[in-house]
Amino acid sequence: MTTQTNHHPSQDLLKTFSEGQLSTGMSIAISAHLDYCSSCRQSVEVYESELASEWVATDPGADGPQLSESNILMDRITSQPQVVPITQATRPRRPVELHMHERSVRLPGVLSRVAEKGVVWKKLAGGINTAKLTLDRDAQCDFMYMKPGSQAPRHTHRGLEVTLVLDGTFEDELGEYRPGDFVLRESTQVHTPRSDEGCLCYSVLDSPLLFTSGWSRLLNPFQRLLFNRQLRHSH
Amino acid sequence: MQAAWITDFFADRVIHLDETAVVKDMHQLSASYDRFRMSAKDLAHGGDRVQERQTRATVVKQVAMERDDESLLIAVGNSQDREAFNVLFHRFGSKIFALGMKITRNEQLANDLVQEAMLIIWQKAPLYDLDKGSAQTWIFTLVRNRCFDILRKLKRQPDGISADDIYAETELELSVDPEQQQAAEIQLEQIQQYFGQLPAPQQQVIEYVFMRDLTHQEAAQQLNIPLGTLKSRLRLALSKLRDFIGVEQ
Repeated sequence: MTTQTNHHPSQDLLKTFSEGQLSTGMSIAISAHLDYCSSCRQSVEVYESELASEWVATDPGADGPQLSESNILMDRITSQPQVVPITQATRPRRPVELHMHERSVRLPGVLSRVAEKGVVWKKLAGGINTAKLTLDRDAQCDFMYMKPGSQAPRHTHRGLEVTLVLDGTFEDELGEYRPGDFVLRESTQVHTPRSDEGCLCYSVLDSPLLFTSGWSRLLNPFQRLLFNRQLRHSH
Repeated sequence: MQAAWITDFFADRVIHLDETAVVKDMHQLSASYDRFRMSAKDLAHGGDRVQERQTRATVVKQVAMERDDESLLIAVGNSQDREAFNVLFHRFGSKIFALGMKITRNEQLANDLVQEAMLIIWQKAPLYDLDKGSAQTWIFTLVRNRCFDILRKLKRQPDGISADDIYAETELELSVDPEQQQAAEIQLEQIQQYFGQLPAPQQQVIEYVFMRDLTHQEAAQQLNIPLGTLKSRLRLALSKLRDFIGVEQ
């Protein structure tokens, strides 16, 4: 499924993804992009190996786990069966297809898991359909299907909007986007997406606190509250 | 020690018996003395073996301590090597705990993380190989995935998706269209069927050239036929197969 993509997540996002610190909705968008993009895959591999080295080099300090109990723990663990390589459990599951009027689209790995149980489409104005996904309480995640010749109303949003193109193309004031493209719009950017040939996307509206580092972003409940309230209004 | 005590004990008995023995008992005694000596020797030897085994265990432990993470992990995966697993636990346990504390700020959860992560390392070790990069990166990603799931649970996020789905390796199989793959499988099955319908000499050349991957020259030598004959049989066989499958030449 590797194709030429022109729009990628920033290195900051890829690193935060490698740390496991992004929201679920955003992590899924990056994971799906990686299925299309070998250069971002390589970046993630490099970040993972750097983070692992940093982690191992850090002195954990005095408070370690209770190593005195380790023998009991070891016995309990080593009495468990191990995974047999290449079994049903470890084999990748089949990709899932989304069916729309004009087309069927095979989804990348993680989105196949997301859509496995089926999705419910809802018609919006301007030839746009969305299927809301319950994945993440902190981010709004949808499949979005723009029918050929459709145009979304001009909008801005609090927080970050990421659109990952899965099939077809769409364009806005800043460019044209093809499958695998990872399009990020910040709250200040007004845009009007439209699609001549039709387009299926996965979209995430993430909390505005995305780039404040690490866990401190949990310490800003006021902003989060405003964001959540806005999410509720938009439904 | 034990062996020496038995020898002493026996020596006492010998003296004791010696003093009271009648001559006809002497022969018997001598025989049993030999038996005793034998078993005493065995015991002494056995003692050495126990010691030897203990020394060997210490050496194995020391060797395990010096081995790199990769060979330890492979030993755990290939032969359920508990000693290697123990060394990995001592190397990574406290680091996993520290990471858990950093993320959850909760000692209980950090301890749970250590247990869960070590269990997964044990269970998944057979899936590790050197193509997957360093052992520490492999372990790091595994711990990161557990942390991701623990946090989702803490935040009461909806079920249905886990870190293993998100951080799954990109499978090359994804790039193969399942329909194409299925078609290829069907075709292969058909070819095998048609292959059986070819005359034996033609089956033979196909087998030598395509299955055993020999050059025409090598195949001809091994089948003991002239190169020209091999080539004409091969051409004939392939064109028949094409006809069977219905592919245009």
